[in-house]
Amino acid sequence: MLRKIIIGLSLALVLFMCAPIQAAEFPTKEVQIIIPWSAGGATDLIFRALGATTGKYLGEAVVIVNRTGGAGAVGYTEAMQAKPDGYTLVSAITPLTILPHRVKTAYTYASFEPIINVVKDPGMFLVRSDAPWKSLEEFLGYAKKNPEMITVGNSGTGGGVHLIALAFEDAAGVTFNHIPFAGGGPSVTALLGGHINAVSVSPPEGIEHVKAGKLKIIALFSEERFEMFPDVQTVKEQGIDFVMGQWRGLVSSKGTPPDVVNILHDAFKKGMEDPVFQKNAKDMAINLHYLGPEAFGKLMAREHELFGKLIQKMKK
Amino acid sequence: MAGTGMFPLILGILLMFLSCIFLLKLLYQHKKTTTKRDSGGEVRRSPVQLILFFGTMVLATAFFDKLGYPLASFLLLAALLRTLGMKQWTLNILLSLMTAAASYFLFVQWLQIPLPKGFIGL
Amino acid sequence: MFESLQHLITGFTIAATVHNLLYCLIGCIVGTLIGVLPGLGPIAGIALLIPATFGLNPTSAIIMLAGIYYGAMYGGSTTSILLNVPGETASVITCIDGYQMAQKGRAGPALAIVAIGSFIAGTIGIFGLVFLAPPLAEAALAFGPPEYFSLMVFGFIVLSNVTGKSFLKSLMMAIVGLIIGAIGLDPVSGDARFTYGSISLLGGIEFVAVAIGVFGIGEVLVNVNQPSELLDQKVLRPRLRELYPSLQDLKKSVGPILRGAVSGFGIGLVPGPAPVIATYASYMIEKKVSKHPEEFGKGAIEGVAGPESANNSACQAAFIPLFVLGIPFGPVTAIFLGALLIHGVSPGPLMISQHPDLFWGVIASMYIGNFILLILNLPFVPLFANILRIPKKILLPLVILFCITGMYSVNNSVFDIWMMLLFGAMGFLMRKWAYEGAPLLLALVLGPKMEVAFRQSLMISHGDFGVFVNRPISMAFLLATAIFLIFPGVRFIFKQLKKGGI
Repeated sequence: MLRKIIIGLSLALVLFMCAPIQAAEFPTKEVQIIIPWSAGGATDLIFRALGATTGKYLGEAVVIVNRTGGAGAVGYTEAMQAKPDGYTLVSAITPLTILPHRVKTAYTYASFEPIINVVKDPGMFLVRSDAPWKSLEEFLGYAKKNPEMITVGNSGTGGGVHLIALAFEDAAGVTFNHIPFAGGGPSVTALLGGHINAVSVSPPEGIEHVKAGKLKIIALFSEERFEMFPDVQTVKEQGIDFVMGQWRGLVSSKGTPPDVVNILHDAFKKGMEDPVFQKNAKDMAINLHYLGPEAFGKLMAREHELFGKLIQKMKK
Repeated sequence: MAGTGMFPLILGILLMFLSCIFLLKLLYQHKKTTTKRDSGGEVRRSPVQLILFFGTMVLATAFFDKLGYPLASFLLLAALLRTLGMKQWTLNILLSLMTAAASYFLFVQWLQIPLPKGFIGL
Repeated sequence: MFESLQHLITGFTIAATVHNLLYCLIGCIVGTLIGVLPGLGPIAGIALLIPATFGLNPTSAIIMLAGIYYGAMYGGSTTSILLNVPGETASVITCIDGYQMAQKGRAGPALAIVAIGSFIAGTIGIFGLVFLAPPLAEAALAFGPPEYFSLMVFGFIVLSNVTGKSFLKSLMMAIVGLIIGAIGLDPVSGDARFTYGSISLLGGIEFVAVAIGVFGIGEVLVNVNQPSELLDQKVLRPRLRELYPSLQDLKKSVGPILRGAVSGFGIGLVPGPAPVIATYASYMIEKKVSKHPEEFGKGAIEGVAGPESANNSACQAAFIPLFVLGIPFGPVTAIFLGALLIHGVSPGPLMISQHPDLFWGVIASMYIGNFILLILNLPFVPLFANILRIPKKILLPLVILFCITGMYSVNNSVFDIWMMLLFGAMGFLMRKWAYEGAPLLLALVLGPKMEVAFRQSLMISHGDFGVFVNRPISMAFLLATAIFLIFPGVRFIFKQLKKGGI
């Protein structure tokens, strides 16, 4: 009996050794990107796509590792503690500057060395096409007369789009009733089903339904109009100076030598400009917005302050 | 309005409530069947083997990251096999080595699952 | 209706090209391997392999990924039956009777019936998908937070005593499950609960850690605690004749399979971990319908055939909201959404009209995938069943390695392994003191969602509790729950009255 087991194991061993050992496995030289969210989410997809094209410019493979938990805390903490040798990066997105205000974390954006910003998507409000409000004016007018009555869904309390909604309240001088959901998908579903009045999202959430005519953009928080929907005015055009969105970029742990940062930056920039990635981005309706290390660092600092204030307001 | 702590509070109270009922039930049944002592098939054996087994698992987990997957799995298997009574070391080592190697090739190389690399860098 | 049929046929021609068949096959094989590893369910598997599909055209890519999905679902039940380790969340119920069957030397029939049942259910599911998709999707939209809450309350109450032994103990386990589910960030207010400052606990305790711990590790520990002589034994040596289901087995399974397929499909439409719930519901239904309910828990083949079929058709149904509405209702379909996006296909109301070949090709390949899995897996049944011929002394350490590897692969977290060990110890004690694990896991899955739905509903209604009864669907579920709870009591009183002759 034991003999059989040994023979079986040997066969298995030989079999697996013959299996394709893919070129992506470089034991000491691959670059890891930690993504503090689960596979399949917007961030995960964008960086998987980017990682795939950057590999050839970097000369080594780019590997994605998901470390979920604690609204990003688990992933960011681990990345912060990683050796600052450029082999461990982490996807820095807006919640990096949000969570430290809400919970005592071991990190803030300043614990990291910015490398490059990849994407910047505007926030927006969607309503059903059969909603009683035909324009932003009517929407806000109703909100003013009925404070805290319009239900606005978001992808989670304290998350990016929730805070965008809160900030918009400030800018427009109204109050809404914020309903949290477990992610962008459920919040859009609830809107489709008519269970809430509006939803706060950023692309690609909800885009398909706007294309199909079931939902419409009632408020757009960007500088310029959407390429895809040229008829939709931004709130800025309509008199409210409010522009806010979510950004996604890459950082590494503090202390990474500048030349390593530069090499990474250049490679990822080329990866961004690669036609395959460009096509992917267009299909996903995401807005590429390149920023170099310095500019990115400044952006994060600004956002950190901004959210600090918003969180204070939320806590009241 | 429903606050953060409401749910756990309700749960805690419910659990206490149910435990009380359970306790009462137990006492009631005990009274009825006090004389019959059913010790039957329960073999009284020392929990040493169990503790060793579990302890090995704990140790392996503690050093999982430092040792790296191939080494940790090899040591874990060898230790567990010994705990369960496999006294022939040659067989033990052979089995553990090959299983650890096979799973390394299957999961790390072929399926590309990220598993800890440890100081030997595999 | 006929148009759909025509489209389906077109779909088959697309799916049946040599290329796509090959991708489907690869997907199924890889999926099965991934599914067999506990913890590494379809989610991680599909996510890991998305980059490998970059070079393919969208249709082929999705076909391969769908193959992985089904393969993983099937692989998951293999370890549940053979080792009492749930390969992934929806396989927990299969552990109950499947493992018992294996212990009695009937691993072969169990494995085979899973393949057969899944295939039949998958077929039914695909027809449902094709013909009922749009209206069902619309119906799914009518569920808002209050409806979800009431539905989950109903499900929770009805399903918490799945195994039928002490109701009190099951309820206690359910509450423990709810408490465990409350650990982490409160989804509504964002405050941390029960985390005691630990960052690792902020995300809550991974469900897979609890499932593998309580069932898999717990079982191993129970075995280790047995006298040494037993460890040299193997589980009963299956004879060739007994490797496949007997005619009687097949007859007994027809009902459960059909019922499972239909109920699973309906439940699969609900957002959230629908396949898990579908398996629990099917088990419950089969117990209630069976003429020998006492066999459940000891190796009743109905307890394997039903849930596994329900599982498969629930997975099919989960694609409806994805394809029709463009919204994923669960983590697996979320990954599919991602894969579709990367390939430039945005699912949604326009997808079917804009990419008909993709949609119908994928549907057809799902069917082909089911078929491939059937042919692939039936011959492997003896191979898998032979795993049980390995003496326990050797098998148990292998299982432990297996569990640890799988657990780590879910989140790359050693913390999860610690949790798994902790719950393993707890599972051992639960086994010794006769507490059931199934209610705990159900509560862990449903609890957080119930709480969220409850609070969301109240937020929308500004604190008005009437929101649960003013809406017809929600009211219906609450009423059903009330009836379910009161009915036994009423019957009891009735009986007492009759006996007492008052």
